[in-house]
Amino acid sequence: MIQWMTLLQKELLEMWRNFKWIWMPISFILIGVQKPITTYYMPQIIDSLGGLPEGAVLKIPTPTAREVIMQGLGEYTSLGALIIVLSTMGIIAAERKSGVAAMILVKPVSFTSFVTSKWAGGVLLMWLSFFIGCLTTWYYTGLLFDWVPFGEFLQAYFFYALWFTFILTVSVFFSSMLRTSGTAGFISLAVVIIVSIVSSTLSRWLEWSPAQLTSYANEILLDKGVSEYLLPAGLLAGVCIIILLALSVMIFRKKELAA
Amino acid sequence: MSLIQISGLKKSFQGTEVIKGLDFSLGKGKCIALLGPNGAGKTTTLRMLSGLMAPTSGTITFTDAKKGEDIRHFIGYLPQFPVFYEWMSGLEFLIYSGKLAGLKHKQAKERAMELLQLVGIMDAKNRRVGKYSGGMKQRLGIAQALIHSPELIMLDEPVSALDPLGRREVLDLLEGLKKETTILFSTHILNDAEEVCDEILFLHNGEIVESGTMNELRDRHQQAKIDFIFKTKSEEIETYFTNHELTQSVNIDGKRNSVFVKDIERARQIFLQEILEKNWPLEKFELSSMTLEDVFMKVVRK
Repeated sequence: MIQWMTLLQKELLEMWRNFKWIWMPISFILIGVQKPITTYYMPQIIDSLGGLPEGAVLKIPTPTAREVIMQGLGEYTSLGALIIVLSTMGIIAAERKSGVAAMILVKPVSFTSFVTSKWAGGVLLMWLSFFIGCLTTWYYTGLLFDWVPFGEFLQAYFFYALWFTFILTVSVFFSSMLRTSGTAGFISLAVVIIVSIVSSTLSRWLEWSPAQLTSYANEILLDKGVSEYLLPAGLLAGVCIIILLALSVMIFRKKELAA
Repeated sequence: MSLIQISGLKKSFQGTEVIKGLDFSLGKGKCIALLGPNGAGKTTTLRMLSGLMAPTSGTITFTDAKKGEDIRHFIGYLPQFPVFYEWMSGLEFLIYSGKLAGLKHKQAKERAMELLQLVGIMDAKNRRVGKYSGGMKQRLGIAQALIHSPELIMLDEPVSALDPLGRREVLDLLEGLKKETTILFSTHILNDAEEVCDEILFLHNGEIVESGTMNELRDRHQQAKIDFIFKTKSEEIETYFTNHELTQSVNIDGKRNSVFVKDIERARQIFLQEILEKNWPLEKFELSSMTLEDVFMKVVRK
C-alpha cells in the first residue's frame, strides 16, 4: 500500500509537471461554459451576424435551465471522451516504449500496483477536471437562466463521470496492450464510439449498457425521474472497469518488458 | 559460497534459440565479467536474471531467497541504455526508486545523497534528468541500481557508451564497489574485464564457452606465441606458418601472424631461419604469452 501511494504520488506529480492539471480543467471549463452562454446570447449573436431577413419569423423558444444544463453536459460526451483518451492513451505504452517501465519494474514493484496506480491517477485527474467543468456549466446556467437543484446536478455529474471512467479504463487497457500510444488512442476511441452507437441505436434492448448512463443522467436533469435501468447500467460499468483493469494487469505482466 | 545458481537457462525468440542452456553460479562478493561479442546473448541473459524476461526454460535460484520471495529485492540492474523520467531531478529519481524498493522516505533520501556523492553527480542532483549528459545518466543509472543495497548488481555494458575519461571513472567506481556487493557486468571490451574482474564468463552464440578466474584462464590457455609482423601481407608466408609442423594454430590479422607453438625455442630458430632465407620483409618479431584477447579469439573461433 505504501508502495502504491508512492506510485500514485509520482503520477500526480508528473501530471503537475507536464501541466495536465492545468490544461485538463481548462479544456473542460471551455467545453462546459460554451452552451449556457451561446444559448443565452443567441438572439444577439444572430443580430450581430446581420439579423434575420425582413419578414422571417424565427421563434427560438427560450430553453429551460434544465434543458440548457443537459445540453451543456451533452457537449462533453464527444469532446470530453476525446480529451480523456488523448490524455491517457500513452499512460503505459509510452513508458514501456521509452524503457523507463523496465527501469521501474526491476525494482520489487508489483505489476498490479504499477497499472492501477496509473489508472487511479488518471481517474483522479479526470473526475476533478470534469467536476470543475460541470460546475461552470451549472453556475452559468444558474446565473443566466435558473438554478437547477445542486443534488440533481451532482447525480448527473456522477453518472457522466462513471461513463468517462469506463472510457478511461478502455484507454488504459489498450495502452497496456499496445506498444504505441497513437494506436492505443485510436482503437480506444473506435471502441467507445462503437459501444455508444450500438447502445443508442439498440437502446430498447441494451438498456443496461454503460453508454446509456449519460441518457439516464439527462433524464435526472430533465426531472423525468430515475430510470429503473440506471442501477444495472451503473453496476455493469463498474464490473467492466474492474475486468478491464484486471485484464490490463494480466496482459502487461505477460508482455516482455524488454526487447 | 554461491549467491546465485543458474541451471539449464534457455531462451527462444520465435523459435530461434538465443540462449542455449547456461549453467553457472556466481560467488558472493566476486566481480564477474560476462564477456562476449555482439549478439552473443549477454543482454538477454542479464534481462532474464533481472526478472525482466521470462526464461523459456531453466531456473535461477538465489541462495538467500526464501521460497516464493520476489528476487528483485536482491538485485540492482542497469540496462544498456538507462532511461529515466526526464521531468524528475536526479535526486528525485533516486528517492523514488528507493521508496519503490521498500525504503522509507528519510532512508531513501540519505541513501540517495550518499550515492550521488559516490558516483560523482552531487552537483547536478537538483537538475532535471532530461538535461543530463550521457555519462551522467550512466552514473545515475549505477546509483539507482545500488539504492536498496542489493546483494547483486548487474550492469549491462556500463562503459561501452562512455568516452575514455568517463570509462576510466566508472571502472574505478566498480573497483570500489567490489568491496560492497557482487557485481556481474557484461562487456565486449576485454581490457575492462581484465582490469576489474576476478572471474570471467565467455558467452558465445548463447553458450558459455569458457569460464574461470583470470589466472585459471591464463594457465589453461598458456601457450607460447610468436608474433611476426611483416611489411606486406603475403599468402605465401601465411601458408608457410599454417602448414608448418611446429605450428599449433595461427591467428592472422592483416600483416600480423600470431603463431602458437609448443616448443618456442626450436620454433624461433627455424622460423627466423626460413624468413632470412626467403628474405621475407619482417618488420617486428615478438615472443609473448597469451592475452585475454587471444583467449577470446580462440574460444570464439572454436
